[in-house]
Amino acid sequence: MRTAAAPDLFTAIPGSYGMKAIVDCNSFYCSCERLFRPDLRNKPVVVLSNNDGCIVSRSDEAKKFGVKMAGPYFEARPLIRQFGITAFSSNYNLYGDLSWRVMETLRMLVPSVEVYSVDEAFIDLSHVPYDQLEQTAMHIRKTVEQWTGISVSIGVAPTKTLAKLANYIAKKDKQASQCVTVTATREEQLRMLQSTRVENIWGVGWAYAEKLINQGIISAWDLSNMPEEWAHRHLGGVNGVRLIRELNGIPGKEMAAPLTSKKMIATTRMFGQPVTELNDVREAIATYTSRAAEKLRRQHSAAKTISIFLVTREENHMTSFKRGATLHSHITLPSATAVTQELIKAAVQQAEQLFRKGKVYKKAGVMLSNIVPDDSIQGNLFSPPSGNEYRYLMDVIDNVNFSMRDDVLKFAVTGTTRDWKMRQELRSKRHTTRWEELYEVK
Amino acid sequence: MQDEIFYDAAYKGSKDYNQWNVKTADATGFGAAADDYMERGIDLNEQLIHNKPATFFLRMRGDAMTSAGIHDGDVVIVDKSLKAQSGKVVIAVLNGEMLIRRLERTFNKVRLLPENRQFASTEIDPSCDTLEIWGVVTYVIHQL
Repeated sequence: MRTAAAPDLFTAIPGSYGMKAIVDCNSFYCSCERLFRPDLRNKPVVVLSNNDGCIVSRSDEAKKFGVKMAGPYFEARPLIRQFGITAFSSNYNLYGDLSWRVMETLRMLVPSVEVYSVDEAFIDLSHVPYDQLEQTAMHIRKTVEQWTGISVSIGVAPTKTLAKLANYIAKKDKQASQCVTVTATREEQLRMLQSTRVENIWGVGWAYAEKLINQGIISAWDLSNMPEEWAHRHLGGVNGVRLIRELNGIPGKEMAAPLTSKKMIATTRMFGQPVTELNDVREAIATYTSRAAEKLRRQHSAAKTISIFLVTREENHMTSFKRGATLHSHITLPSATAVTQELIKAAVQQAEQLFRKGKVYKKAGVMLSNIVPDDSIQGNLFSPPSGNEYRYLMDVIDNVNFSMRDDVLKFAVTGTTRDWKMRQELRSKRHTTRWEELYEVK
Repeated sequence: MQDEIFYDAAYKGSKDYNQWNVKTADATGFGAAADDYMERGIDLNEQLIHNKPATFFLRMRGDAMTSAGIHDGDVVIVDKSLKAQSGKVVIAVLNGEMLIRRLERTFNKVRLLPENRQFASTEIDPSCDTLEIWGVVTYVIHQL
């Protein structure tokens, strides 16, 4: 016997609403660091990139002192010292865990969440009546903040591009907006478009913005009034047309289904210090390949093409900020594989070919592409079947490494000294992912 | 709409199991009847974690809370989504410092009480102290 179905709260009411929102964490990495450092609330904080090279996150207070985004750490150092700014190395274990918590909280509150990056997600608010959008967004913001300790800003609008703009406005004056901006009506959207410059539109790059401004298209409003044919010709074809439509409130980018398997997997890192020895390069490439292979197996895929690249340092690196030359190569394997040692073999072989004695290397990367689902690996008559006999071994390695962490089991070629490893001198403890690093409270 | 609605959202996160979590008895013949009575084993997460994205583990340092059964080195489970009511053990942020204490709220004052006679309680002076509740302690894991 069938009982009456429970009313579904999340079903959109036909012919109404259709609002989306972007939820964007405020200075995400800095907020994560502050969660266990309440003494740093309202104090200037910055987070440095891999290797402590650049500044990748700044709290509002640090912005006020003039610390530049993506600026090199050594350049900002005098400023950091002068104003007593607290600097942290990136603690990706902590940020990853808190990112998951933020997204999971959102999933509890709304029917559909599209995770856009580590600190941003589009959410579906099409079930919310117009007059409750503001309250709902405010509740979502407060709940995320209460549950996870991470503060967020929310922009609400009928399209993703407008939601991004609304969020930009919410962030510009957090005090006035309380981190929420709703632009549900066309009047609100027009006011927003008129007060925003083209370079602040999502998807308009710096180079495009300059071109537009030269043509007298200065505000987002100006751009939204351009004909679609013009956009097709001058703004990158279909994407340009879509952008104009989105600015006019017509959705061009629907909520995407969560991406379950990636088409490309890359692991790229700066070396802790520049390296000159083939052995170091080989170890690094093998390690990155292991990591990429692990990600590959986690999504139950296999890869056919493996590419590697090495970035050299400029000869006059002390005076020049130019990037050194990038050397790259790729190998297409006879059949797709997810077996670490096969991928390592192909990667190391390439590294040996690319390596030149006497050069200084500062960065390396491995990329797996041509990715197919693991269960449908196309056999090749002329090569021995690969993979299946190692499947069990790979499972064991992944399970041990996943439960013990820190790559307890690894291939010898990935090295034992790891001189080239990342520099993270100012990293905080991994309070949310390690028993031995739990926060200690008195 | 009230804030309360979201605070109390039911969370299923740590209880997300499927039938494959049920082990089979793996017996043949007469013993196979045991399969009919197999169920999912006991999982501590189910008991200790009610709201996974809002739950954090912290380690107790010191003797401030021994009478409440929280000893040096114990792990406390903290739920940030719960409302801090008077009488609950909480993680408080007092003037930028994180403390574990019992919260006492009466009509005209707020106090943070240790559970150890050798420690003094703290009365909050709203004119010069900043107090914020970080989370509510729900369980303590103590090794015997």
